[in-house]
This record gives sequence, C-alpha cells and structure tokens, in this order.
Amino acid sequence: MPKEDNLPRILIVDDEVSIQRFLHTTLDTGEYSLHQAENGHAALAAAVATHPDIILLDLGLPDMDGIEVLKRIREWSLVPIIVLSVRDREDDKVEALDAGADDYLSKPFGVAELLARIRGALRRSVQLTPEPIYKVDELEVDLSRRRVMVRGEETQLTPTEYDLLRLFVIHAGKVLTHGQILKQIWGIGYVEQPHVLRVNISNLRRKIEVDASRPHYIITEPGVGYRLRALDY
Amino acid sequence: MRLAASYISVFILTLAATLFCEAIRPYVSPTNMVMVYLVAVVLASLWLGRKQAILTAALGVLAFDFFFVPPRLTFNVTDKEYLITFLGLFGVGVIISTLVTNVQDRAEKLKEREAETASLYRLSRDLAIAADKPSVLFSIVKNVEESMDANAALFLADGEKLGVAAASNDWDVDPEAEKIAQWSFKSLRSAGAGTSTFPMSKMLFMPLQVLGIPLGVLGINFNTEPHNRFEQMRHLLEAFSTQSALALERVRLSQQAEHAQILKARENLERALLNSVSHDLRTPLVTITGVLSTIRDEENHLSEKSRHDLVDTAWEEAGRLNRFVGNLLDMTRLEAGELRLKLETCDVQDLVGCSLASVEHRLGARSVDVQLPSELLLARMDLVLMTQVLVNLIDNALKYSPPESPIEITARSDNKQLTIEVADRGPGIPAHDLVHIFDKFYRISVPEGISGTGLGLSICKGIVEAHGGKIHAENRICGGLKFVVQLPQEGERDA
Repeated sequence: MPKEDNLPRILIVDDEVSIQRFLHTTLDTGEYSLHQAENGHAALAAAVATHPDIILLDLGLPDMDGIEVLKRIREWSLVPIIVLSVRDREDDKVEALDAGADDYLSKPFGVAELLARIRGALRRSVQLTPEPIYKVDELEVDLSRRRVMVRGEETQLTPTEYDLLRLFVIHAGKVLTHGQILKQIWGIGYVEQPHVLRVNISNLRRKIEVDASRPHYIITEPGVGYRLRALDY
Repeated sequence: MRLAASYISVFILTLAATLFCEAIRPYVSPTNMVMVYLVAVVLASLWLGRKQAILTAALGVLAFDFFFVPPRLTFNVTDKEYLITFLGLFGVGVIISTLVTNVQDRAEKLKEREAETASLYRLSRDLAIAADKPSVLFSIVKNVEESMDANAALFLADGEKLGVAAASNDWDVDPEAEKIAQWSFKSLRSAGAGTSTFPMSKMLFMPLQVLGIPLGVLGINFNTEPHNRFEQMRHLLEAFSTQSALALERVRLSQQAEHAQILKARENLERALLNSVSHDLRTPLVTITGVLSTIRDEENHLSEKSRHDLVDTAWEEAGRLNRFVGNLLDMTRLEAGELRLKLETCDVQDLVGCSLASVEHRLGARSVDVQLPSELLLARMDLVLMTQVLVNLIDNALKYSPPESPIEITARSDNKQLTIEVADRGPGIPAHDLVHIFDKFYRISVPEGISGTGLGLSICKGIVEAHGGKIHAENRICGGLKFVVQLPQEGERDA
C-alpha cells in the first residue's frame, strides 16, 4: 500500500507478547505504520531494515541490555527513542536519557500519555530549529527577544535563570537529566554539583509558577530530571 | 628446711630467754624468771607454731632447772616446790600455745572465707552483668583464672558431643582432658585431680548442672599443687560451678524465649501477609475482571455512561493494584536490606510538589494547605523514596479523613533537622495504636469500605529510618492525626 509509506514508522521493541499486542492495538489507528521486534538483536536489525521514525524500546530484553541496544542505534542514527521502563528504576532511566534516549515512560502507562510522548518526540525530530516563541497556558517565552511573560506581565530573570528556561524551551516536553542540564548551563565541572541546579530551579519556579509547591510548568521527574510542560501534554 | 629452721629458732629463743635471765639473776628470784620463759613460749607459738611452742616450754623447763634452780648447773632440785613451778611453766606454755594457734587458725580461716566470698561476689556480679552466652562464658573463665590462680575451660554440650566453648589462653587442648570431661558430664560427678576418678590428672573437672540436667563441664587446671587446694577450695569450687550453671541456664532460657517470640512474630507476619495479599490483590482483580467481562459480553446493552463508569472503576482498581505491588516490592527490598539510597541535595518544595503531583488524580476536590518557609529549604535525601513516603502519608490522610476536610503539609528546619508534617482532620487514632500503626500489616479497626494494605506506613518508617531519620504519629489537639517526619540535615551544603 503506497499510502503506508508516508505514515510515520514506529518500531516497538518488547519481549512481552501481551504488551506487544496492547501497543499494537492502541497504535493501530491508521496514523502510524507499525513494526515490531522481540529482542535486542531483532531490534538492531529492524532499525536498519525499516528505518523507523520512532522507536519504543523496552529496557528489559531477554538477549541484551536495552541500554546497549540504545547505544548501538545511537552510533549511526538520531531516530527518537522512547524508553519503556518499570517504576523505581530511575538509574536506568537516567542512563538511557544520558545515552541519547529522547524520553521515557514508566510502566504501567496510559494510552493518552503514550500518544502524547510519541507526538512530542516526532514533532521535535522533524523540527530542526525550535520555534522562537513558546507559549503554554500563561507562560510565554520569546527566544528571539529574550522576553519572558507570566500571566501577561514581563518577568525579569537572572542570566542563569534565563539560560535555564531557554534550555527547557528548546527541549520543551522532553526530560532533561540533571547531568545534561548542569553540563549545558554550568559546564562539565558542575555535573557533580546539583546544588546550584536546585537553587536556580527553585528561584525560576518562584518567578513563573502560580504555586511553586504544585509546579505547572517545570515538572520534576523524581530521581531523573526536569521537564518543561509542552502543549501536547 | 623451714621445719629445721623453726626448730633452730626454738633453741635460739630458749637461749635468749636464758641469757636474759642470767643478766637479771642478781635482781630477781628464780621463780620470777619463769615469766621470761613464758614470754619465749608465747613468741614461739605466735611465730613458729604449736609444736615448737611446746618444745620451747619443755626446753625452758630444762634450762630453768639447769641454770637457775639451786643447786645451779645440775638438774638436781633441792627445794621440791620448784617441781610445781616446772609443771606450771610447762602447763601454761602448752595452754598458751594452743590458744594462740587456735586464734591464728581462726583468723586464717576467716581470711580464706573472706577471699572466697569476694571471689564469689565478683563472679556473681560479672554473671549478672553478662547478657549473652559469650559474655557469660568469658566471665566464668576469667573469674576462675583470677580467683583460683588456674586455667579454665568450659565444655558445653553440642548435641551429643561435648566441645570446648571457652577456655583460658593457656589451656592445653588434650584428648585425655576431653575424656575426663566427658565422664564427668555423663556421671554428673567431679573427676580428675583431688577426686577418686582419674586422680592422676593435673586437672579437675566439675559438671555444670541445673536440676540434674547436665549443661556442660568446667575444667580447672591449677597452676600450683592441685591436691591440697582441692580440699581447701571445695566449697568455693562448688559455689562456682553452681553459679556458672545457673547463669548458663538463664542465658539458654532467655534465648529460647526470644526465639519463640521471633517465631511467633514471623508466623503472625506470614499470616498477615497472606491475608493482605489475597485480599488486596484479589479485590481489584475481581473488579477489573468483572468490568472487562461486562464490556466483552454485554457491550451492546451498555449505555455510553455506564460503560464509561465501568472503565473508570477498573482503571482506578488497576492503579490500586499497581500501588500495592509497588509497596510489596519496596517492603521486600527494605526487608532484604537492598534499599540503596541515592542521596542528593533536594529542594523540599520539590519533594512536596512531586508527592502532590503523584496523588493529584486522587485528591479530587480536597484542599491541600502547604506551609513552607519562604527561603529555600534543601536537604539530602533520596527524592524518589521520600516522595513515596509523602505519597503514602497523604494517601493515608485521604483515606481516613472526611472528603471535604483539608490536608495540611508543613516543613521547617532548624539547620540540623528537617521536619515535615502531614496532618488531617480525621478522627485520629486511639493512643495505644499510635506506635503500632507503623508495624507491618497492622490495621486499626476502621469503618467498612476503606481499603489499605497496612504496608504503607511501615514502608514510610523503613525509608525514613534508612535516611537516619524518625517518624511518628500524634493526635492533634483540635482533632485529626498528624504524621511527623524528621530527617537529619547535616552536610546538605556539600552536595
């Protein structure tokens, strides 16, 4: 079917038959063309053969470590990879994100969340230069003019706070690990000093959030990092 | 040698007395010189012993007769009255020496008794302090060493065999000794040196028994002259072995009691786990299965709304199931000591935020009142696990307080300690349950329809304690329950 060729291709890598079936049923909406692999080696082969537009990768594979699959694919491809992992394996998630995964989902997850993540990852992958204007609810950031508007009023940020917010805006919707943020904003020497990050996040939240105890824009992913709310989710 | 010296001393004493009498002869009558000889007898009985004193008396009689009783320098006696003086001197000499040595003997015995009492006192004091078997064994060996100038070994029954459980450093491992110990253990009688069984052995073995039940054998290797000492120390030895046996029995009984208690606790726990697992896993599964079968078989008969309600119910139950499995996993990990903290410097506001975000869909219309200090509050913690703690506490508050009542979360710090409180306006709990609610699977009697695993709070306790902190619950004065979590905060600056 020629029509299929134009659809985004999703490669689902999971060894659990029931999860394969569930994902297949859920994603088989006619919007995507679906491919699957049951183990790491099949996934590597499929990644070459099908050139997927996005990969859903389970970290617990029978034949090889999911992180290893991720790294091998990253050696030659920038295809967005969303990692599926069970709760309380935060270290795995951080490792996966640092190894180049675009996002992660904790099992069990809801369909809405899955679809949102897929859309977000696809959008980011086709968008080579970020939109200069980010606007979600009452937060508006204009990168071209270095202007931050909160509830319609311009807010003054320190240079570091602005850099931090800019990084989030560029990667809106994507989880950034502590290490990634520290490296980008403060340099590699600060990777082991999350203290500065906490202080700046806290200050930034006080300026842009309505209630810093229930943040709406800068969302903490415990044990992993932060994510700036994007329109999709 | 000492004996010969003492007899020579007798001669010297008599000689000295005679010389003294010679010196005073011009001034006193011979009868009064008897006093000088009596002094010599008293000195002899004090210094040399009873036999020597009697000999001194006899020699004194002879010397007195020979040198001073006229006619002098012969043993002849002209005045027969002197015979009474001789008899008096000798008789008084014998009586004095007997009395003096008796008094001395008694003093000696008293001293020994005192030493025995002191060593028994030390033993019983040490044994009273000793809380466990190793320290009881150590105290026994140490006291035998110190009180008896001996090496000691304790043989305890290990099943059928008798083995050395504790011994002095200088104790020689000797198969012969083991054989005698074994005999003593079997027959419940002392054996070895100073007894009728194996008297040739250098060592003495005394059975340790309580109510005729053998516990072990105390082996003693005296550093000096075992044979005399055994007689002397019989009482002390018996007292020692009785005390030791009682102490060992006491430790054994307390171990047994402790073991029984642990077994019982484990049994209760297993029963609670089974109850909880079967109830908490089944209940959501029943609902989910029910909903799914309804949708599968009756889809055409369902209104859009009821289908929606059904699916919502199943969805909630699935979430509950997931949380329960998560709690079970956390519990297992805590129990196995596999919970590794990933400590990082965290913003307490972030902790509260993450917790609220994860209970958001369960909060509904509940108002949550968060009170945090205006300045940034940082503390080192495992954010994921501490979030779990707050989520469990908030869940608890949601479950046990009226739906319209607010939940209050406060945090403060005194730079040494971070205190986080989660409070509700529910009915609170009876005072005697306040401590127990952190026990695994402990559930206070609650109104029907409230589900809970009894795991959440014990996980909270485990996680908080793994952080070196404390958690407790208290009833609020104006109604409601408050959980207080305290975490140590030192060194949060050097993240």
